[in-house]
Amino acid sequence: ILYCGFYLWKMNNMSPEVALHRISPELRPLLCSVVRNGRVGLDSTNCLRVTDLKTGCTSLTPGPCCDRFKLHIPYAGETLKWDIIFNARYPELPPDFIFGEDAEFLPEPSELPHLVQWDAGDPECLLQLVKELIQQYHQYQCQRLRESSRLLFEYDSLLEDPNYGRNMEIYAGRKNSWVGDRIVLVCPSFISIMSSLSQDTALDPGEDVALLSVSFEDAEATQVFPKLYLSPSIEHALGGSSALHIPAFPSGGCLIDYVPQVCQLLTNKVQYVIQGYHKRREYIAAFLSHFGMGVVEYDAEGFTKLTLLLMWKDFCFLVHVDLPLYFPRDQPTLTFQSVYHFTNSGQLYSQVQKSYPYSPRWDGNEMAKRAKAYFKSFIPQFQEGAFANGKL
Amino acid sequence: VPGFAAGGSGIDGDVSIMAASISGYTFSSVCFHSANSNSDHEGFLLGEVRQEETVSISDTQISTAELLQVVEIHNHDPCAQLFSFYDYAGKVNEDNLNRILKDRRKSVIGWYRFRRNTQQQMSFREQIIHKQLTQLLGVPDLVFLLFSFISTANSSTHALEYVLFRPNRRYNQRITLTIPNLGNTSQQEYKVSSVPNTSLNYAKVIKEHGAEFFDKDGVMKDIRTIFQVYSALQDKVQAVCGEVEQSERVKEKIQEDVNKLKQQIALRKRKTAEEERRLREAQNAESHPTSEENSEPSETSLLSRVAFHAPSAPERPGTSPNPPSYSDLLSQEDSLLSSSSSPTSAALLPRPQAVGSPGHPTPGPLGMGLGLSLGLGSDSLDRQAAGQEDDDDDDDDDDDDDEDSSEYENLVSEAAHLPMVSASVLAQGRPAALSPDGDARGSQTS
Repeated sequence: ILYCGFYLWKMNNMSPEVALHRISPELRPLLCSVVRNGRVGLDSTNCLRVTDLKTGCTSLTPGPCCDRFKLHIPYAGETLKWDIIFNARYPELPPDFIFGEDAEFLPEPSELPHLVQWDAGDPECLLQLVKELIQQYHQYQCQRLRESSRLLFEYDSLLEDPNYGRNMEIYAGRKNSWVGDRIVLVCPSFISIMSSLSQDTALDPGEDVALLSVSFEDAEATQVFPKLYLSPSIEHALGGSSALHIPAFPSGGCLIDYVPQVCQLLTNKVQYVIQGYHKRREYIAAFLSHFGMGVVEYDAEGFTKLTLLLMWKDFCFLVHVDLPLYFPRDQPTLTFQSVYHFTNSGQLYSQVQKSYPYSPRWDGNEMAKRAKAYFKSFIPQFQEGAFANGKL
Repeated sequence: VPGFAAGGSGIDGDVSIMAASISGYTFSSVCFHSANSNSDHEGFLLGEVRQEETVSISDTQISTAELLQVVEIHNHDPCAQLFSFYDYAGKVNEDNLNRILKDRRKSVIGWYRFRRNTQQQMSFREQIIHKQLTQLLGVPDLVFLLFSFISTANSSTHALEYVLFRPNRRYNQRITLTIPNLGNTSQQEYKVSSVPNTSLNYAKVIKEHGAEFFDKDGVMKDIRTIFQVYSALQDKVQAVCGEVEQSERVKEKIQEDVNKLKQQIALRKRKTAEEERRLREAQNAESHPTSEENSEPSETSLLSRVAFHAPSAPERPGTSPNPPSYSDLLSQEDSLLSSSSSPTSAALLPRPQAVGSPGHPTPGPLGMGLGLSLGLGSDSLDRQAAGQEDDDDDDDDDDDDDEDSSEYENLVSEAAHLPMVSASVLAQGRPAALSPDGDARGSQTS
């Protein structure tokens, strides 16, 4: 069964401040930089998490003296849980590691310069060491992939493409668990889009990320599960998890073909959203110029709302305009509201109009003009309704 | 010196099982050092590895040899500080290693580490160090003992966990470590382990005071003494056996004589009785019969018993007015039995009797022996009945008793006479039957 969809990253639920408070004072700076600033791997939204703080001192030692903990590292869609062991009494000494379930992962110390030249005085030392370990871990996973050549072929082909280069994480699944081989990469064209999007929609390229994860459950690539991971703000900007669907991985297909496809889709969507943004802005601008003083308020950031206060034959009324995400494809909702009449429930009497003369091909000006015309034609009807159904 | 069978197969291919033990004092010493350190702690394990081969032979005649590697940890050598023989990269410095171990290097069979609140799994650096130690020390199956101290958050419970690894193998890396005499000793004996005591002080003291306990051959003196006592006892027992045998033989002889004499007495008495009877018979037509029932009850009872030679079961006390006590019965029977070849235990038991049977000793003076003494009147009937009952029993005993069968026949024939006598007696003496005992038995005429 192929399924495609979105998955939100879970936010960090252990407050870093709590962890630091219990850590031995000499080790605190090291952990601080890991937890607060630490970004390892592709997923920059998910911080490194620290749990299970314990001490290696005797139980009579007064705290805070915790010097060993578990570090949660997101990698290739998995979370690595590594134990890091210091000695509070000897804070100048480098830590030791237990690599959790990856009992066979044994990096070569010579490939870990920050271990060989451990400098406890440098607060970044631990973070750098962890990054080096992740690199080694990545290589270790590539080694393990030698056993299943399918994903390796994919990986190698992607490696050669300058678009993807080294921005990939590989995870070679385990035989006994249901986790298959997985490759996670950054949608490359997304990076350029991000910057344009950020200018307009206040998205932070550093915080936001779009990752494509493709899992291969079997060696023949008949069960391939692609997933798109977007940071929450991007997802919201693109219209929620229901809006974006990526195509299924074609059986027998290659990543080198599939990935660009997905990225293109994403790009299109984003561009569409950007377009929509511009269109909305245009629309609002047009209304502003047409209705001038009649504008009560409008959304100046996303340009999604506009409220007008108009008068026709001494009858004052409000018009709320709601612009949908996929404007101009979808037409704006107009809500007419009487300023005099109340409904039984105490609200102002209003009527919603979703279909009225409209065409997505009109420009902002045209839309404003047509809207004005529509108001004139509709208002008598509305007025009657207000007087009939509403109470003063 | 740790060593392995020459030409042994590679570590992975070797399917031998490993058993490991550590002496209690070494274990507690390691724990002591570890618990008192305020950080992680490490050191070396000294001891010996040997291979034991067990050959088991089953009914199928196929013998299987099992190779068991036994690791014994005799001692430990704690390191004074961390990173004392390796650097930050985990590279072992051989000079430092030698400086720490000195001449103990050749008895190193493993090393240990202690770390609080961590998993029971070898860490990154430990694995790197272990590989190098294996190479440097030349111990292919170097073991690694990991101690971990887990405390609960409120320090109410602490657990010391220890796992022995043999990391150079691919599978079955964890080995059970036994500590002799630590555990449930209520079901086991206190074991003496083969771990030698390496303490110099101990050796010195034993040497000094050993002469008080050991003789020149190295055998404990007490053992010799006990053995002497044992020998002496054995001699005495042998002597007593001889004496017993002799006395038994003498006793046998005497018993035989006694039996013969008894037989003679019985014979004589019978003859006398016969004569008397004939005399009486001659007088019986006119005179009242005299009751002689009380005259010789004991004799008759004795005679009756004599008649029943062992191995047959003795007769009931029968109708004797003064039935002998059970102990008397037994003692008499013992004397009777001694001459026999194989007395059975059953023969010693009196035959059980039902209450109310004619053979049951009746309380009155009606009890009679067998129909040898002839009281008349109703008594004769009892006698007859008794005699017949006894006859039946006699018949049973006849099979076992060859010698005295003739006497039985006599008795039977005696009883056979009785009916005739009783009839005549009854005809005449019915009223008289009532007088001696006042009993209404007379009405029971046949």
